[in-house]
Amino acid sequence: MFDAIVVGARCAGSPTAMLLARGGHRVLLLERAQLPSDVLSTHFLWPHGMSYLNRWGLLEEVLRTTPSHTAVHLVNEGIALTGEVPEKLLRTHFEELHGDGGGVVTTHASVRRRVLDGILMDAAASAGADVRQGCTVDELIVEEDRVVGVRGRTRAGTRFEERARIVVGADGRNSFVARALGLAKFDERPRCTFAYWTYYSGFAPGGLQLHRRGRLAAAVVPTNFDQNMTLVWGPSEWASAFRSDVAGHFQQALSFVSPDLAEQVRSEGQQEERFYGTLDQAAYLRPLYGPGWVLVGDAESFKDQCTATGMTHAFRDAELAAAAIGSWLGGREPLDRALRSYEERRRSQNAAAYYDYACTLAEMRPLRHDELQLLAALRGNQEETDRYIATHADIAPVSEFFQASNLFLINDAARETSDQHAIFDGFAETSRSYLRNPFS
Amino acid sequence: MPSTPVPRTDEELVRIVLETADRALKELGGRPAAGPPADPGTRRNLAGSARETGRAVQEVSEMMKNWATHVPWDELADFADFGADDPAGPESFTRFLTDRYPEVRTALEDLVEPAALRITADPDEEYALDKQAYDFYRPAGRDLLRRTEEFHDWVEARRRTETWQYSRLLEAAPGSVAEISNDLGRRARGINFNSQDYLSLNAHPAVREAAARALGDFGPHSAGSPMVLGNTRLSNELEEALGRLVGLDHVTLFPTGWSAGFGTVTALVRPEDWVVIDRLAHSCLQQGARAASKNVVRYEHLNIEEVRRHLGEIRRRDSRNGILVVTDGLFSVDADWPDLLALQEVCHAHDATLLVDVAHDLGSMGPGGSGVLGMQQMTGKIDLVMGAFSKTFASNGGFLASRTPAVKQYAKMFGGPHFFSNALSPVQTAVVLEAARIVGSAEGDRLRARLFAAIDALRGALGGHGLECLGSPSPIVPLLIGNEKLARTANRFLFDRGVLAFMVEFPVTPSGSARFRLQVQAAHGPDEAREAAAIISASVEDARQYLSSAFRMGTR
Repeated sequence: MFDAIVVGARCAGSPTAMLLARGGHRVLLLERAQLPSDVLSTHFLWPHGMSYLNRWGLLEEVLRTTPSHTAVHLVNEGIALTGEVPEKLLRTHFEELHGDGGGVVTTHASVRRRVLDGILMDAAASAGADVRQGCTVDELIVEEDRVVGVRGRTRAGTRFEERARIVVGADGRNSFVARALGLAKFDERPRCTFAYWTYYSGFAPGGLQLHRRGRLAAAVVPTNFDQNMTLVWGPSEWASAFRSDVAGHFQQALSFVSPDLAEQVRSEGQQEERFYGTLDQAAYLRPLYGPGWVLVGDAESFKDQCTATGMTHAFRDAELAAAAIGSWLGGREPLDRALRSYEERRRSQNAAAYYDYACTLAEMRPLRHDELQLLAALRGNQEETDRYIATHADIAPVSEFFQASNLFLINDAARETSDQHAIFDGFAETSRSYLRNPFS
Repeated sequence: MPSTPVPRTDEELVRIVLETADRALKELGGRPAAGPPADPGTRRNLAGSARETGRAVQEVSEMMKNWATHVPWDELADFADFGADDPAGPESFTRFLTDRYPEVRTALEDLVEPAALRITADPDEEYALDKQAYDFYRPAGRDLLRRTEEFHDWVEARRRTETWQYSRLLEAAPGSVAEISNDLGRRARGINFNSQDYLSLNAHPAVREAAARALGDFGPHSAGSPMVLGNTRLSNELEEALGRLVGLDHVTLFPTGWSAGFGTVTALVRPEDWVVIDRLAHSCLQQGARAASKNVVRYEHLNIEEVRRHLGEIRRRDSRNGILVVTDGLFSVDADWPDLLALQEVCHAHDATLLVDVAHDLGSMGPGGSGVLGMQQMTGKIDLVMGAFSKTFASNGGFLASRTPAVKQYAKMFGGPHFFSNALSPVQTAVVLEAARIVGSAEGDRLRARLFAAIDALRGALGGHGLECLGSPSPIVPLLIGNEKLARTANRFLFDRGVLAFMVEFPVTPSGSARFRLQVQAAHGPDEAREAAAIISASVEDARQYLSSAFRMGTR
């Protein structure tokens, strides 16, 4: 009999198991696959994601093989902004969410999952969790309407059965735990992006670059093995046309969004793997907990890849859920109250506003005139540029940046006018032309 | 170019699996699972399909397999092993096709062509609910008039879906119950939290009589700016009455509350001066600050330590110019108020001037209607006090009160809206004067007691339904909803269910923190308040169901 069984040993599951085990609880961590291995993922960690690793004492090990940067380069319709997430906003973020602003770092990184997930799983094992790979859970044991354990089979085909006081579903978007419980999805947002990416070696982009033009976007970020994850995305409506020639359209999209980046990729880049892609990205929320079970990570809520916050949010869930479950296991709080505090943070007004922000972005509508003017007004205003980046990453609340008096002040402080940016010439016409699918 | 030939994309491979399995299933011709096909040709074809399926799955990336954990990839990959003339025959493949494939097919299809993408919503409603007014703040193009059309299209979508909360019309006086029509002409009658008339003086016989008398004595028109014969002797009486209420002797009248705020700031502040302003201070003060100077610093709502820090920083750099610190008394957005003693002390310590806007609290709260000032024993101790008559005093108009005649004369001369607007009408002046008399009388105390009984009943009942009211008991009860779509939808339901409430969203409140602003009146009975709370709660719940939303309301 365990205190907790955690199903899934990746970004949400391993840290949950690790934190619970560090709290002295008996934890079983089950993983279907054999790690290290990859999984579809932005594999991007924003500074709060890196801060979690640092708080858990794992950052150093990750950084041993992973490049990290602080600068974020944004180019929207030719309007370039560079900034970083300020430490102060990070500390406030952690204080508000976790009641403790310690251990923050301002770097971001792109970590291959076959690197990161192994480190996380090993950390859970070192903390004392019983870690078993190649174990597929195929049944929840329910007694008197309460989840009390799991049954499954090992890779070799042996059946197993384990019981615990609570079962944590950390098994991703296609969560078995959620499916077995028959949980409905809420706040579904079918509009999402299609995204295709691959890995290039041979050049150094110097931190995260995010480019946006019309309804398409591209990102490049240095990752493990001296490679650069290079990604393009656009509205899901264009996905089927894009797929008719993935390699050709990938280059076409890159050239459209950022001719410079495209040129660099073509002339210096060496493609190291196939193109990966996904369209399966509709956002949703699921119920967070019930009798004998809790969900964390993508299992509880998924958002489009376009803000690349999924892994960071999985870490957040792990820390919130482990604190709640630990407080109950330690006899400090009844379970219901402990999990309500997890829910309050996960279903808060700030969380709702960010969910809306990410889902709206995922529709990939051409940037509006007012949005572009705002971005132009941010040039030269480092403090607000940094806050904008922090808002985009869900570190500063959406409601603080997107507040009338703040936006008016940004306008008033603007140093550049629209004639310094080509996009404002014939804007209406350009904007209309962006609505045409370039791949069909 | 790739250093080695790269495998096909997952999407391509999944399509091959789907096509191959579909073809094989067709070849089986809907045969029941029990009987394997006897025809050797069919068996050969099936074995071929099995191999093709298995090989495609073997090539699927580990990324995809670890993502789509609900697909039995290993089982599918095993089909690659069927030999060309496998004596065992493709039985396991046939069994898979008939038993398991329908479910697996759905899962695979979802990966390449998600079902969610095939859902179509009502585009009008989607458009109406998705956008915010700010999205149209900076339209494109050089034709000032034509570029307003995009915004208008959105307004029309909001109107068609009955989610446009603006431009509703009153059909009769706005008492505790009101009859209104929305801008599609649809009527509704309901408990009215949509009007700002905190002591219900709009219906008071003495107020109406004062208005009638002034109409008879002076006519409806002031016929001039206050600087140019627009004032009557009633104006002087009103200035004195207001001076007694806020404890500052020198009062200037403005034709609206908005112009009192804007006029005060622009009268006193010059481009090299500083304005340090609460993030949530009223729009007339924010816009006044921006019009007066580029040196505008916003501070976190109510945070006096931050004010201290800003003042210290400004004074270290600038000892020559003025600093105006600006706050509301009762904030209408969050129903809370600052610690005025501490704020005034911080200002004096840095040679800064404090301006407090008491539009919402003067008359409706505090001993003798003295508002937040009186509640904090600060009456007469604030540098500058401004207010509006439109919440408690049953009329348009506003005022600025100061300690010296010099400030008054300066604001009259350089406060544009005072000098360059027609003065308050004699009827308005008389109404405010009579209202001020009632506010300061024993009757005023009774009205405030009734008002607060209704406020307590409303806040208590909303809390009992699990909804969160922001701030402290005051005539404004902000009911936090958060998400704009949810608030707009709940507002639509409320309209037909007998409660009139105003929904505020961006730009009044920050993005993602929409709320109902319930404005209570002395005429509201506690039972009415409780009935309204039940209706509001049910409407919010129905809106959540309608949108299938799991977000909680209230908690930040």
